[in-house]
Amino acid sequence: MSKHVLIAEDDALLADMMGKILSKKNVRVTITYNGQEALEALEALEKDVPDVVLLDVLMPVLDGHGVLKVIRERHVNCPVIVISNMSDKMTKEKCRQMNVQDYFVKNDMDDEALWPAIEKYLR
Amino acid sequence: MGKKPPLSGSHATTLALKKLATEKEVVRRKLVVTAKKLRRKATQLAATAREKERVRRKLVVTAKKLKISHETLEKKVFERTKDLEQMKAKDEAILASIGDGLVATDKDGRILMTNKAFERLLGWKESEVRGKFLSGVIPMVDSDGKIILQPRHSLKDISATVNGASGSTLFYKKKDETSFPVAMTVAPIFIGKELMGAVNVFRDITKEKEIDKARSEFMAIASHQLRTPLTAIRWALSSLKRENLPDNLKKLVHTAHETSTQMAVTIRRMLMISYLEESATEPEMVEMNLKAVLEKVVRLHDAHRLRNGLEIEVRCPQDLVAETDEQLLIEILDNLLSNAYKYTPKGGKVKLTAALQGMMIRIDVADTGYGIPKEEQRKIPKKFFRASNIASPAASGTGIGLYMVYNIVRLIGGTISFVSQENKGTTFTLLFPS
Repeated sequence: MSKHVLIAEDDALLADMMGKILSKKNVRVTITYNGQEALEALEALEKDVPDVVLLDVLMPVLDGHGVLKVIRERHVNCPVIVISNMSDKMTKEKCRQMNVQDYFVKNDMDDEALWPAIEKYLR
Repeated sequence: MGKKPPLSGSHATTLALKKLATEKEVVRRKLVVTAKKLRRKATQLAATAREKERVRRKLVVTAKKLKISHETLEKKVFERTKDLEQMKAKDEAILASIGDGLVATDKDGRILMTNKAFERLLGWKESEVRGKFLSGVIPMVDSDGKIILQPRHSLKDISATVNGASGSTLFYKKKDETSFPVAMTVAPIFIGKELMGAVNVFRDITKEKEIDKARSEFMAIASHQLRTPLTAIRWALSSLKRENLPDNLKKLVHTAHETSTQMAVTIRRMLMISYLEESATEPEMVEMNLKAVLEKVVRLHDAHRLRNGLEIEVRCPQDLVAETDEQLLIEILDNLLSNAYKYTPKGGKVKLTAALQGMMIRIDVADTGYGIPKEEQRKIPKKFFRASNIASPAASGTGIGLYMVYNIVRLIGGTISFVSQENKGTTFTLLFPS
């Protein structure tokens, strides 16, 4: 079965674009637009735990920190890559403490950098 | 001798008379002597009386003079006292009218005097605190309420605004145990060369802190609101760029992508300045290979460089290690290099040189560009300043880059300077602890 990535990103255009980039690389994608939706998707996926979760921090309903907390309780080893607009040390540190695999600031990234950033976690 | 013949009666009388006359003469002489003595005495007494009278008169005059002097003195003392009282009242009125709290202590830190604002801000009356240790009555605490110990021995060195260890806010605890943020200035009091104590002027900065917080929150929200759609636009344009588009559209998309990227950089810089101005950023020191950092920065701008037909030369010892904040150093070099490329005409050259200079690392960014006009050089690094000679020929700019660079350099404990000659080029020299 092909690799599976869960995207949690409230900016619909960005989320869909990430989905498109990954689909082109033959990755199965589940797109959610806030933290709550992401958790519900995880619940629904049951045993089909994503190989990578791409997580935004500032999201409505439930933010990235809230999602991270649940993921770390249920799927300790699931790789989580944060892609956020927040570039402050506090947010980064908070994510680091929750054992995220990588942290990218959206501003410093573009579509071409996305695949190289997550490819190694999908091997 | 024969027996004396008996005296006749008259002879005896004659003898008696003679004897009497003799005695009378003796008495007379004695009287003359006494009279002389008396006369002399009388003369002496008269002289004494005269002397006494003279002294008495003198005394009267002196007494009169003394009386006048005394009256003058009393008058003068009265006037001076009045002057002093007026001066004191004036000083007290001035001190009382100072809107900031004021407390003077002796050299041991015991409170000598306070003003009205002190009483109003802290809730303590001067009579309640006089003679007590300032640090005991008004503890200085940090934002967590933890008491900050104030060293007393360093009083002599105090002469500046007092801040927390890393520019953090200090709080004063009031009589009612609540606290408020303060900005204060402590200065030593010297009389002649002797240190008498210190005077501490402080004010409540609650309002400033609230405004700072509101501004910081606004910046965070605004930048997030701007960044999110901008990221989507940038990504969309970037993927469009790779599509098979007609040439005219391709050019448009390319320009749109570049502009949106530039806008993202500007937003990042504005946010960085906001953090720097609030001292919300603290450097995170890590060891790094400097050459790798320089090459990384050069790579970031390679597209720009090639487009402008510029040459780059990097000179740095292979094993040169620096210990500083990598992100901040990259931000500095990124700005300097991007400026060098932006303000150097086609065919020009940019040289990036790094070397160890004593305990410091020196990095030079030299270009062969337009330079900065001499009369405008002192305006650097003013926020939003752009030199008049580059406003037209060169690419867009906001004038916040160098302002930010100077602020960051200060943050990493370094210095920055430049030499520039119009139409010859500019060299920026960065020095920071290795």
